Amino acid sequence: MQNNIKTLDIPKKEPGFARRLLRSPSGVVGILIITFYLAVAVAGALGLTPHSPLEQNRLERLKPPSQVYRMGTDLYGRDVASRIMDGATNSLRVALASVFLSGTVGTLLGAISGFFGGLVDQIIMRVMDVFFAFPAILLALLVVVVLGPGLNNTILAIAVVYTPIFARVARGPTLSVREMDYVTSARCVGASDTRILLRHVLPNILPPLIVQVSLALSWSLLTEAGLSFLGLGTRPPQASWGVMLSESRALAEMAPWLMIYPGLAIMLGVLGFNLLGDGLRDVLDPRLRGKR
Amino acid sequence: MARYIAQRAIAFIPTVLGISLLVFFAIRMIPGDAITAMLGTEAGMLTANQRAALEEYFGLDKPLYEQYLSWLGNLLQGDMGYSVRHGQPVLDVILARFPVTLELAVMAVLIALAIGLTFGVLSAIFHNSPLDLLGQLFALIGLAAPNFLIGTLIIYVLSVYFGILPNAGNYVELTEDPVRNLQQLIFPAITLGFAFSASVMRMTRSAMLEVLGQDYIRTARSKGLKERTILRRHALRNALIPIVTLVGVETGYLLGGTVIVEEIFTLPGIGRLTYNAISQRDYALIQGVTLFIAMNFVVINLIVDFVYTLLDPRISYAKQH
Amino acid sequence: MRSAKFLSVSLIVLVALIFGAIVPASAQDGDNILIMARAADTTGLDPHLQTAFASLRLLELIYEPLVNLDADLNLVPALAESWEFSEDATQLTFKLREGVTFHDGSDMTSADVKASLERILDEETGAATRANLTSIETIDTPDDYTVVLNLNTPDVPLVSALATVNAVILSSDVIENGDPTTDVIGTGPFMLEEWIPEERTILTANPNWWDEGPFVDGIEMRVIPDEASILAALRAGEIDFALLNDPLVATLLIDDPNVELNRAPAIAYHVFQLNAARPPLDILEVRQAISCAIDRQAVLDTAALGEGKVTGPLTIPAYELPLDEYFCYEQDVELARQLMEEAGYADGFEMTIIAASAEPPTALAEAQTIQAQLAEINIQAEIEPLELSVYVDRWLAADFDAAVALNGGRSDPYSMYVRYWTSDGNLATVAGYGDETLDRLMREGRVETDPEARFEIFAEFQRHLVEMAPWVWLYTDYEYTAQQPYVEGFVPMPTDSIYSLAKVTLER
Repeated sequence: MQNNIKTLDIPKKEPGFARRLLRSPSGVVGILIITFYLAVAVAGALGLTPHSPLEQNRLERLKPPSQVYRMGTDLYGRDVASRIMDGATNSLRVALASVFLSGTVGTLLGAISGFFGGLVDQIIMRVMDVFFAFPAILLALLVVVVLGPGLNNTILAIAVVYTPIFARVARGPTLSVREMDYVTSARCVGASDTRILLRHVLPNILPPLIVQVSLALSWSLLTEAGLSFLGLGTRPPQASWGVMLSESRALAEMAPWLMIYPGLAIMLGVLGFNLLGDGLRDVLDPRLRGKR
Repeated sequence: MARYIAQRAIAFIPTVLGISLLVFFAIRMIPGDAITAMLGTEAGMLTANQRAALEEYFGLDKPLYEQYLSWLGNLLQGDMGYSVRHGQPVLDVILARFPVTLELAVMAVLIALAIGLTFGVLSAIFHNSPLDLLGQLFALIGLAAPNFLIGTLIIYVLSVYFGILPNAGNYVELTEDPVRNLQQLIFPAITLGFAFSASVMRMTRSAMLEVLGQDYIRTARSKGLKERTILRRHALRNALIPIVTLVGVETGYLLGGTVIVEEIFTLPGIGRLTYNAISQRDYALIQGVTLFIAMNFVVINLIVDFVYTLLDPRISYAKQH
Repeated sequence: MRSAKFLSVSLIVLVALIFGAIVPASAQDGDNILIMARAADTTGLDPHLQTAFASLRLLELIYEPLVNLDADLNLVPALAESWEFSEDATQLTFKLREGVTFHDGSDMTSADVKASLERILDEETGAATRANLTSIETIDTPDDYTVVLNLNTPDVPLVSALATVNAVILSSDVIENGDPTTDVIGTGPFMLEEWIPEERTILTANPNWWDEGPFVDGIEMRVIPDEASILAALRAGEIDFALLNDPLVATLLIDDPNVELNRAPAIAYHVFQLNAARPPLDILEVRQAISCAIDRQAVLDTAALGEGKVTGPLTIPAYELPLDEYFCYEQDVELARQLMEEAGYADGFEMTIIAASAEPPTALAEAQTIQAQLAEINIQAEIEPLELSVYVDRWLAADFDAAVALNGGRSDPYSMYVRYWTSDGNLATVAGYGDETLDRLMREGRVETDPEARFEIFAEFQRHLVEMAPWVWLYTDYEYTAQQPYVEGFVPMPTDSIYSLAKVTLER
């Protein structure tokens, strides 16, 4: 019995975890990309860009990539490279914030739902079903149209769409975890429900959730781009990759670099998160199977 | 089995009610109504009396709860209401556009399955070979590329380098002209199927690898069954279960209409219908479409559950837990 | 292995489909139908009700008004052959064209004109254009082809107010016994055969049209929501004619050897509206500073790639003034800073600019350019892109500090601006500013019949308006249409009207 508890309780900071992750090739590439992106985002946030991402320069409009403007300039004469870096900050902020929001809220709802069962379960899951069956784009559109555009509302819109998914992903494993011996024994000892939830359930349902987080991150990058494409995402003149992509469409023939670079940026970001997710799955799955 | 279906359908009723409430009130929270959508800034030229007359015409004058109840009442009798913009019953409008979306979804899924399953199986068999790596690379690109980017590129290449554009606003139904119809749908289907094929490929590959390493496969091998038979009978079949889940989710998503792809490829589908309905504040239509898409969801879930029983005899719905 | 075979077969089918699709479609057969594409669709079929540009473009081919405008914005006879004001301009008499029939075969007479105008004036109808026709007190029809409008006040611009699709003549039969929303019976060159909303509209030629034409058998209007796809369709030769809205897309056709681009200088104007009811924009010096800080040509160059020209308040060619007669039409940042100091705002302030994303397509580009220019005089402007109806809602409520707008023009200065710049104008709150001078000039302009005197009145009107700077007028761009070389006879109009399609031939 004691053995089971030791093996199954997986503290996140265990050194074996990180090393194992680094052994998986997808994991390594994923981490590399994400770290690079985070660095770029931080640089962008600190203003360490080659030019100002907002400064318009009438004489330098629509210039192809050159020594001075590594990725060319846009319709207003703004440096694309600087805007990509600035966009990294915004796009990643949206991704991380929306996933954090939906991840915590969704996981809590799902865990509570699975743990307590009965009426609570029914109600929560019905409500989640409502949002789940709602067409995703429509839901995001509605949130943004009602609240207005802007980074924060985009974050909210994406979070609203993704919360039910986290709830579902959290509920399944919770159902099996709550039947586990260590939970029953914790109950016998008189632990409160909250304590059980936080101490025993949550850590043990983490693996699929972690994988889901990385998928959600990549999905939110694409959704932010899509929403901006439909004219409802980030507010200009703020740069986000989605806004840059949508602005580039009418000019794509004249200035293909306007579409290529933001497109690559999004793709690489999505790639990075997916690879990270793959790596995590490789690491965490064997652990999961061991529980049986 | 029939009981199971009935139970699932009934369980979905509160969800449907929830959705109808949510969408009913959410869209009315958006500033602007059908009048501003129709007249734009000219709406400012209306006198108070004129505005009242138009509100009555659009059915906007009654109190909200009354509007909701009468809509719900009609709905239960099979009447989804009237679309002010299209001048037709909502159900007719939806059914006129659903075939495109359905066909597009089916084609996209088939394409994704054809490409994804093939390469997934091949990748699993030739694990860690150059073919495997190539397949994985392809999958990664497919996952990451935004579909409007792919769509835009395809149209650009077609129109500039090949000088053709299969669909120039003259979409034809499958029943009218099958050849032309397929010509018009193949590229949007590829655009949509591309990303999905990547998921299928990765899922197939990992599921097959997992299954190939499991006990009962080793048992089958030790029994002396041919490699091919093993692959076919056991591995692929079991790998299909999570794929069926994926297909269900993806189809549900595709049947909701993909606004951007429909817009780029000029397809009169559900996605554009929804988007336009929102812009036009065509309340009855928005409500109708949302419910319609939600119902699709239920149907798809049921179909997926049914397919599970075909794939894995261990799964049966006769027993309830 | 069965599955392998299945999968490889499906792959082969896929590849075959792709190659099949690349084969060009069969050449257009010789049928004489004009295939036209545009991004926005008609919003409804009642011509008295629908005001959206996209709707007007369709309805003007089916219905006709009493008078029309030519390419120089002069009034020309349409269903009315001639018109005349009484001495004191309180009576307007129209002599109708004889021998005009509706699409259902009935004759057009004064009874139809009376019924149509009364329908517009009836508040129950909800016709937005009623506001322009309120001077009409009663309508007399002494005989079948004469209509007399008795006005409650002299109203010279009334004739041009009737030169619009929103004042077309319907059949009195349809008005009394039918429903104009579904019974589409007009007198125009084309008849409506089918309307599939958001997809296509089919028109057939009216063989009994009173004028010469049409020379095509019909028009197929397709909705292609993405203008880049319209471009692709033109290049692929799939469509004959197209309406384009986005200058960035249209300019790609300038050097195209295969497709012709038509440009007509528009009378719609791009403007940066300030809300003078909101401090500190209520201070004259602040508004003038903004006017001086903005480089209108730069906005035009960025947003529309220079396709257009900087404009004063009136965009009608007959009333235009040289730009140097206006206050601060050359960017003068020094003067702007000075003015800000005088107003006590040397350190600037914050404000929000609303813009409808994609309506017009240049809106956000204008906003961003202006934002950068305002930053030079320490004004921190934040841009709020709004969905169109949300924007309209805020705009109508004057709930904004500043707004980027594309407002419609009219052929007469009074009709164009009475709604904004008179104290009881319908949109006076939206304009956010009014004063005695503007009221007086508008009143005078309404009753003045001498063209030279009228020009002087409205010249003073424009100069005063620019000096008071409640709005900053930016530029007018072009109304774009594109066609294949074999489409002959199309005349682009500053009003964006495509009425001349009635005279178009396909010389294939």
